[in-house]
Amino acid sequence: MALPRRTILRGMFQGATAVMAVPFLDCFLDGKGQALAATGQRIPTRFSTFFYGLGLTTSLWVPKKAGLDYETTVQLKPLEPFKKKMNVFSGMRVMVDDNPNFQHWSGNAAIATGIAPTKVSQFDSKTIDQTIADTISRGTRFKSVAAAASGDPKHCYSSLGGANTLPAEPSPLSLYTRLFGPGFQDPSSGAWKPDPQVMLQQSVLSAVTDERKDFMRNLGAGDRARMDQYFTSVRDTELQMAAELQRPDVVAKVAIPAAPGEMPVNYALPNVRAVTPLMARLGALALATDQTRVFNLAISEPGSNIFVPGDPLGYHVTTHMEAIDPVLGYQPHVAQYNIYSMELLASVLQELDAIPEGDGTLLDHSLVFAYSDQSYAKIHAVDGIPIMLAGGASGRMKTGYHIAGGGNAVSRVGLTAMKAMGLSVDSWGKGSMETRNAYTELLA
Amino acid sequence: MRNKAALAVFLVGIMCGSALGWAAGSDQVVKLRRLSEQEYRNSVGDIFGKDIAVQGMFEPQIRISGLVATSTAVLSVTPAGFESFSKMADSIGLQVTDAAHRGRLVPCAPKSANAPDDTCAAEFFSRYGRMLFRRPLTADERQARVNLAHTMTRSSGDFYGGLRYGLAQMLQSPNFLFRKESAIQAGGKALKLEPYSRAARLSYLMWDTTPDAELMQAAQTGELNTAAGLDSQVERLMASRRAEAGMRAFFADMLELDTFDTVSKDSLIFPKWSAAMASSAREETLRGAIDLTLRQNGDVRDLMTTRKTFINRNLAAIYDVDFSFDGEWMPHEFPLASGRSGLVTQVSMLSMFSHPGQSSPTKRGVALMDIFLCEPTPTPPANVDFSAINDTSGPLKTVRERLMAHATTPACASCHTHSDPIGLSLEGFDTIGGRRLTENGRPIDLSATLQGKTFRDGPGLGRYLHDNPKFPACMARKLYAYAKGVDTEEVDASTFKTAYQAFADSGYRLRTLIKGLVESPEFFDTQVAIKQVSARQ
Amino acid sequence: MRLRYCLLASTIVACALAQPAVSAPWTRGFVVRDYGFAFRYGGRPGVAETAPAADCARGSATHFNDEAEMRTALSRQPWRSSREIEAIIAPPGIEKARLPTYVRFYVWGRAVSYRGWRKGIETYVNPFAAHDPGQPQVVSRISDGFDLDGNPKTGGFTSAEGVRGIDNALYRAWGCDAPFRNPASGTLDLRENTQMQEGLYTVVIRISGNQDPRNDSDATVEIGYSPDKIVRDARANVAPDYSYRIVKSEQYTRLKAKIRNGVVETEQVDRLHVPRIGWFPDQMGDADFHKGRLSLTIAADGRAASGFVGGYRKWLDLLAENTFAQTGAEQGIRDHEDAVGLYYALKRNADGMTDPKTGHNTGISMAYRIAAVPAHVVDPAKPAQVRRLPADEERNKGFETVKAAMIRAVTTRTVQDVPLGTGEGQFPAMEKTIADLPSRDFFLKTFDAPGRLDDQGNVVPLAPDAKPDRQVNINGPATVASGNAR
Repeated sequence: MALPRRTILRGMFQGATAVMAVPFLDCFLDGKGQALAATGQRIPTRFSTFFYGLGLTTSLWVPKKAGLDYETTVQLKPLEPFKKKMNVFSGMRVMVDDNPNFQHWSGNAAIATGIAPTKVSQFDSKTIDQTIADTISRGTRFKSVAAAASGDPKHCYSSLGGANTLPAEPSPLSLYTRLFGPGFQDPSSGAWKPDPQVMLQQSVLSAVTDERKDFMRNLGAGDRARMDQYFTSVRDTELQMAAELQRPDVVAKVAIPAAPGEMPVNYALPNVRAVTPLMARLGALALATDQTRVFNLAISEPGSNIFVPGDPLGYHVTTHMEAIDPVLGYQPHVAQYNIYSMELLASVLQELDAIPEGDGTLLDHSLVFAYSDQSYAKIHAVDGIPIMLAGGASGRMKTGYHIAGGGNAVSRVGLTAMKAMGLSVDSWGKGSMETRNAYTELLA
Repeated sequence: MRNKAALAVFLVGIMCGSALGWAAGSDQVVKLRRLSEQEYRNSVGDIFGKDIAVQGMFEPQIRISGLVATSTAVLSVTPAGFESFSKMADSIGLQVTDAAHRGRLVPCAPKSANAPDDTCAAEFFSRYGRMLFRRPLTADERQARVNLAHTMTRSSGDFYGGLRYGLAQMLQSPNFLFRKESAIQAGGKALKLEPYSRAARLSYLMWDTTPDAELMQAAQTGELNTAAGLDSQVERLMASRRAEAGMRAFFADMLELDTFDTVSKDSLIFPKWSAAMASSAREETLRGAIDLTLRQNGDVRDLMTTRKTFINRNLAAIYDVDFSFDGEWMPHEFPLASGRSGLVTQVSMLSMFSHPGQSSPTKRGVALMDIFLCEPTPTPPANVDFSAINDTSGPLKTVRERLMAHATTPACASCHTHSDPIGLSLEGFDTIGGRRLTENGRPIDLSATLQGKTFRDGPGLGRYLHDNPKFPACMARKLYAYAKGVDTEEVDASTFKTAYQAFADSGYRLRTLIKGLVESPEFFDTQVAIKQVSARQ
Repeated sequence: MRLRYCLLASTIVACALAQPAVSAPWTRGFVVRDYGFAFRYGGRPGVAETAPAADCARGSATHFNDEAEMRTALSRQPWRSSREIEAIIAPPGIEKARLPTYVRFYVWGRAVSYRGWRKGIETYVNPFAAHDPGQPQVVSRISDGFDLDGNPKTGGFTSAEGVRGIDNALYRAWGCDAPFRNPASGTLDLRENTQMQEGLYTVVIRISGNQDPRNDSDATVEIGYSPDKIVRDARANVAPDYSYRIVKSEQYTRLKAKIRNGVVETEQVDRLHVPRIGWFPDQMGDADFHKGRLSLTIAADGRAASGFVGGYRKWLDLLAENTFAQTGAEQGIRDHEDAVGLYYALKRNADGMTDPKTGHNTGISMAYRIAAVPAHVVDPAKPAQVRRLPADEERNKGFETVKAAMIRAVTTRTVQDVPLGTGEGQFPAMEKTIADLPSRDFFLKTFDAPGRLDDQGNVVPLAPDAKPDRQVNINGPATVASGNAR
């Protein structure tokens, strides 16, 4: 393949003068292409998060039946079109151990990190999207991109740990500008730069391969066969890296639209409803054109202040103020707000599913991790926070299931998601939530 | 291939012959063992410090004739496994050379932080190469890393970046990931293990980690090849607190405690069970075994009868006893009437070999026969009818009654009579190891007859195993197989007859057994015809 | 030998069948899994926390529930203009604020915090200076609790088992308060138990004797805090059989008891200290029952215990613990309770601890309900203390300060300012929240506040009144036994 060598070398390290022997470059790039061609189309698997505040109403959302073909409940109704493409997790527990249960914080922080936070508004480790991005975002322009549908850049629950969160784009226009404004390279037309890190890793592997002859000496036949397998494994990893050095195949047929105009972005539900799918569409285009592989969208903060115009209380205050209806047995206005959250999630999934890609859609090649901060917001309960995993992760996630968690740690969902994303991780979480136990029945 | 040729530009002369005598052509590799997860973690921790994080997935293990250790001599590395090793290597390389660690871990300062310094790089790779490969690097091996680092430094403008990638390369090299045991022809058919291979074999057995500086020194000077030199090193390793880590690893393997990772219990019936309970139970067993055998230098047979153990708050809840809160763990002695007796009645053994929702005399019996007596039970025929066992609504209320209805069918009887009695005597403990005396309202019969001996309940079984000479013999065979990476079933008792006699004469002290085994002449010697162990499911 | 061993051992038959009771020391421990006011819910289970039922003929209190309720509450202040009231109900221009719901919440909160007979009196510190908004009272004749004064003719309640003269005046006063009405759904009842189970605090009970755990004429009951967090099992229930230390803090009490057929009845003591209920760290502390008693029924298999602990408590303490958990306004608006109504209800129903000087009852009869699971309750091997985070200390100080101000106000009938820097005296929280409200200036000018801002924008206390108000007389309506006036 024809790559402008000088460009690559200059671009490899920020500001450093790169002087490199030409044969080195050859070994990076040439000779790998053929092996690569055999692997065929490479559609990357993408990861997204969807955060919604204040949970759902247990009696209205948890299906009675577990496993496949569970009944569609009142609050899962908006998600019915995607039922076969997603899994829902009920009864998962957040175990705070010796830490306090911080209202509107412990739940979402624990789901995002597997660790009960020791301080309010802080994460005790990298959040799951960043851990996944470390592995899957090599070579993309943005390691991750975040958007906040009610207009506050702080509404992003993506963090490298500590109190800082990665700022979210607070409007469709700013999101558009970041993704498709200056610096945007359409990978199907513009120049594309391989990740220099990958090249270095690759030459390390070559050096391992070079030990082969020496190491094989004096081995018995059985051990020879074992080492053949070992060096085949080394070779497989080399090929995988070679694939990462190739320009990704943008197979989705998408066109980048014109920039959206200014529009009100705040907590008023009609605005959130207009902004959320628009942000999701821009995010989906960024994923489809491989600008990034991780997209985080929050419709509000935990303890959501979203409100229906005319409702003097809004979502959060209503969860606390509204009495349980004597006949219905739940808080009717809260239940309606819950449904709005699910409708917004459905609108995001709709955008991902609308982009055809290879033999499926962008959603099929994605994993969307949707979660909240409380299970029963009225009393700040965290047991049974509703969690959803949508999308097939390029076939690695089986879908259509309701997993009745039965008191298992929420970290099992995160571990399952990471494994579906192809991460090499054996355990996740801390304290009582440390788990080595993914939902392997969901992993294909 | 073209990239090979290209690399040769800077990986100078890697094909040239080796400088050291032990690696000469007349050597034979007698064993090639993949590092276990714990060996990998301990080695990295000892070489670079415990603050270097090792995060990633290790390949699943298999157990051959009762030991995972045996499988390390037959398993290779899969693509997924290598990818994980590769990522771990990169992460360790990055950490060791980062700003926070380089001051402590890089033994020299480069002339310039952003230019190659081959002298300093050579010092770095010599030092860590010797630790990671458990032998000195050949000049060519060292030079290959120096060249790699040189190129990397040139392209990145960072000296430490060069070290990082060179180190990462060594960490994913087969020379680190596999323990290569080489032997030299010693006249006739005998092969003698060369000194560095001896050091590694001793160290991984006794400390579960890579040889320390002193042991490497003893290998280098040839001291390890003399009886006196070997003895002094064995005494030193044995006297260290780190010998506990070595024997912990052995007990964890022999007692199959890795099985816990896959144990799950029905939370509807046994909500008390949790992941924390499993790790507590595992720790109880290891603490107790180490305390009795190493700290107290007790009779290993007492592992079957002791009522002394160590518990934490979780276990106290299953054993239903007071926890003192004086530290995380407390010693505890069960009363006589508790039914508890040594390892076999600990939560670990009882829960690992049970079903999620109910106990299983068969699973317990099969496992304990295999673990403690080296008597495996054949696998059941494919067409077994299990309906009688699982029907709790019928007249058969206890597990024992239902099992008996099934086990008396002729096709099943021979195996069940072999293994069930042990399990039946443990029916006084539920699937999570709690005490029970009735089941579905009916009193439980705790008696059993095995090989002509009748016993009852945990203490009866404990005494039976304690007095059974097969138990200490089985343990010795397993320790030997564990140390050498061979199949327990292929270990002939005659190979370490003297060591075993000394073990028996000492009143079955584990320290005597270890010393006897590693100092017996055949421990480091081997016959030319090396039989490859085959993986058996 | 521990009893449970005795039962478990192969000598089970000898142990269980021996009659009369085996004379051997025995101990049984429990950890409390459910702790709350002994308010007997009169409705059907699983339905409503608000609906009318046998306990509350007109349902729960509905203070500040909606705009109409707000209008009623604000109209009681003769000094408020109707323009002001309407502005509070619907702050002009609110749709332009970024956080309209919080603006409204804070505006309402400030308004209900100043409902005195004249402007400038903070209501939650000075409840005596506000009109009684009424509080629906319990009309049922059946109640949980104890006959504390030994007089079957007083108290007015009969227990479910038929014991007459049950004294549980707190139930009558507060039993229709929405957040405590139904243990299955009452917000604060749920919140209290959730927080306890998640580790806010732990209460343990240890019963011991020398005869038989089901029949012992000389048993001992201990109750107190444990520094050890409650352990929950895989199904999120409180796990049985775990060990807990019992600490002999101020809230520890040791009582003599008699056990008959598994029913434990303690002696009645002048002062019975137990941990009090709470859902925030600063509510933790001593319940301090006067003429206290404890009663527990132990299940035949020993695997559960339930019962009550009760006595007379200073009713102003109860008011402070409930009101100042957050702020009177926050709790009131969220949970539909009016601390002023609760104050008058306590005052009307107070039935004990008569002050010899004034002749007023300073105490009210009450009980906490208890449900517990078996546990190993042990003495600490090393000195141990009740858990408290450093961050809680500051909050606790604030709580004690504002509580002292309220008690001073009520007992001297002298209007007190809200101490700044406390939960109740948080300022300028509202002022900040309404910064982008177009009608901000109207509220800044009209509203009372716990403090003021000087030229530099620093918070400074209000200037003290030259002539403090005394002996305020309120001629408002008072609702005694029926529902809320609405």
